Amino acid sequence: MRKVALIGAGGIGSVHAGCYPDIANAELVAVLDIRPDAASQLAEMHGVPAYSDAQTMFAEVEFDTVDICTPTPTHIEYIKMAAAAGKSICCEKPFCLTAEQCREAISVCNKANVTLFVGHVLRWFPEFRRAKELIAGGSIGEAAVVRTSRASGHPKGANDWFCDYEQSGGVVLDLGIHDLDWLLWTFGPAERVYARGLGTSEQGKSDYALATIRFKKGVIAHVESSWAAPTGFTVKFEVAGDKGLIEFVDKDVITYAEAHWKADQTDVTSNESSPVKESPYLLELRSFYNALESGTPVEVTPKEAMSAVALALAINESIRTGLPVKP
Amino acid sequence: MKETVKIGMLSFAHGHAYGYAGAMSQIANAEIVGVADLDKSRGEEASKRYNTRLFASYEELLSSDVDAVVICTENLYHREVTEMAAAAGKHVMCEKPLSTKIADGRAMIDACKNAGVKLQTAFPCRFAPNMVQGRNAIQAGNIGKVLAIKGTNQGSCPGGWFTELSLSGGGAVIDHTVHVTDLMRWTLGAEVVEVYAEISNLMSHKNYDDVGILTLGFDNGVFATLDSSWSRVPSYSTWGNVTMLVTGEEGSVWIDEFNQHLNLYNDRVMRHSWEGYTDNLDLGLCQSFVDAIANDTAVPITGEDGLAAAAVALAAYESNKQKKPVKLADIGY
Repeated sequence: MRKVALIGAGGIGSVHAGCYPDIANAELVAVLDIRPDAASQLAEMHGVPAYSDAQTMFAEVEFDTVDICTPTPTHIEYIKMAAAAGKSICCEKPFCLTAEQCREAISVCNKANVTLFVGHVLRWFPEFRRAKELIAGGSIGEAAVVRTSRASGHPKGANDWFCDYEQSGGVVLDLGIHDLDWLLWTFGPAERVYARGLGTSEQGKSDYALATIRFKKGVIAHVESSWAAPTGFTVKFEVAGDKGLIEFVDKDVITYAEAHWKADQTDVTSNESSPVKESPYLLELRSFYNALESGTPVEVTPKEAMSAVALALAINESIRTGLPVKP
Repeated sequence: MKETVKIGMLSFAHGHAYGYAGAMSQIANAEIVGVADLDKSRGEEASKRYNTRLFASYEELLSSDVDAVVICTENLYHREVTEMAAAAGKHVMCEKPLSTKIADGRAMIDACKNAGVKLQTAFPCRFAPNMVQGRNAIQAGNIGKVLAIKGTNQGSCPGGWFTELSLSGGGAVIDHTVHVTDLMRWTLGAEVVEVYAEISNLMSHKNYDDVGILTLGFDNGVFATLDSSWSRVPSYSTWGNVTMLVTGEEGSVWIDEFNQHLNLYNDRVMRHSWEGYTDNLDLGLCQSFVDAIANDTAVPITGEDGLAAAAVALAAYESNKQKKPVKLADIGY
C-alpha cells in the first residue's frame, strides 16, 4: 500500500484526492497547499492532516509517494524535494515550464532512483484510447491529416496563475499539451511546427492558438487550443487516413441529460454529460500505482512528457517569431 | 434596364456548371440561350437537359447575341476563354479558382476592363443565409474586435481533370482554398498578406496534393487557418464542408454552411449518408450576376476578388516548397 502526500489542493488536486478511495494499493495520508485554508478544506474532506509548509510535512508524515498538483512553475522544486527524500512522484501535466526544468527533473529522479510519472490523463480517456487503437490497427490505413480541438473559457486558478504566462505558459502549454501528448503518442515525433496565437496574458482576456504540426512520418496535424470559449468546454478530433476516417465530437456522445425547473417553468437549468464507470483520472492514477507496485515502467515516461513540453514550447516560439520551429 | 439577360454556358467540365445552369433556368430575368462544350457528347447532353441550343464551338456561341457567359472549363483554360468572351463583348462569370497563375488572373481582369464587360468570380458561398447573418453580426461589432478565424473547406477528391495538374494547376489546395479565403476577406474587409502552408499527398500518394493546412495573416492583424484538404474519404457521410469559427474579443460566430441535413441509412448501398437541404446558393450567385448586367451595376464579386483568393493558394504552394511563411507581395501579387 502506497502512502500518498498530495501537494496542491486546487482543481486537479481535488479530483485526484477524490480518486484515492477507489485505488486499492494507495491511500491519501496528507494534503499540502501553501494556502492553509485550501489545504485544510480538502484534507478535512478526506480525513487526513493538512499542511501549508512542505518541510514540516516531509518531517512529520510517513509517506512514500507525492502527487504533485500545483501550478506548473513549482513542479521542479517539489520534484527535487521529493526525489531527495526518495519518494515516488506523480506529477500533473504539463511536466515543467521549460525543457531545462524537465531535464533537471529527469536527472534528479534518475540519480535518486525514484519513479517519475507525468499525468497526461488524455491517454485514459476512452475515446482517445480507442482512436489510437483503431489507427494502430490499420482501420483508416495510413494517417494523413489530423485535427484536434480543445476549447474552454479562461480557467480560474489561485491568484489567477493561469493568466500569468511566466507561470502557465499560456493556452498551448497548459491546455493544448493534452492533445500534443496524444499526437506524439499516436504519430511519433514532430518535424516542425508553425503557429499563430494571441499570446495574451492579461487577466480575463482570451487566449487562442492555432498550430500546424508536421510529423516526421509526414502526417499533418492542426491543433486548436482555446481559452476563448466561455460558452462551455468542448473537445473534437478527426484523423483522416488513406483508407478511412475517424471523427469524435463530444457533443455527439451525450448519454445523459438532466434538467430542473420550478412548477411554473422558471429557473430552468439543464446539464448534459457522457458519464463513464471509472473516470480517466482514476484509471491514470491506478496505472501509476500498479506500475509502482509491480516495478514495471510507467505508462507516461518523463521523456515523453518532456517531448510534449518541447512541442508546446516550439509552438509558443513560432507564435513569438512568426517562423516555423523544429521542436 | 434589360428585361432578360441572355446567358451562354461555356463548358460543363467543372460540375458546378450544372448548378449554375439549373439556377439560371429558375431566374426570371435570365435565359440560357445556348451551350458550347469541347466535349461534344457532354455539350449535347447539357443542351437537352436545359432545353437550349448547342453551339458547335465557343466562337460560334460568342458570335451570337448572348449578353453574358458562364465559364466552367478546366482551370487552365479560364484565361483563354475569358479573353475570347471579353473580345466578343460578353460579360463573364468564371468558375473558381479564377486562375492558376497571378499573371493569368491579371490578364483576365484587364481583358474584361478594356472590353468594358463585367467579370464576376463564382463564389456561391457568400450567399448562404448563415454566412450573411454571421458577416452582418461581425460587421455590426457584435463580437467585438475580430482576433482569429478557424476555417475549413474539407472535401472529397473530385477525380477526373481535377487531379491532372496540366488542367487543374494543382490539387486540393488550389481547389479548396479560394472559397473560404474569399469569405474571410469579405467578412473582415481585410487582405491576406502572408501565408504558411503544410501540403502533402498522403491520401492518394499520387502526384497531386490532397492535404493542406494553411495559416493566413491579414493586414489588420487577424490570423486564420484553413484546412483545404480532400480528406473526406469515399465512405464518409457527405462530400465535405465549409465552416468558419470567428473568435472576437467579446464573442464568437460559428458558421457551418452545409450542415442542414437528414441522416439517410440506405440498405441498398449499406451506407449512411447526409441528405442536405441547404438553400440553393447558386441561385443567389447567379441572380446577383444577372442583376448586375440587367441594371448595369458593379458585380458583387469581382475578378480582383477571385485573384486575391487564388493568390493565397499559390502562396501556399510556395510556402510549402520553401518551408517558411511567404508574403503575397513576394509571389508577384
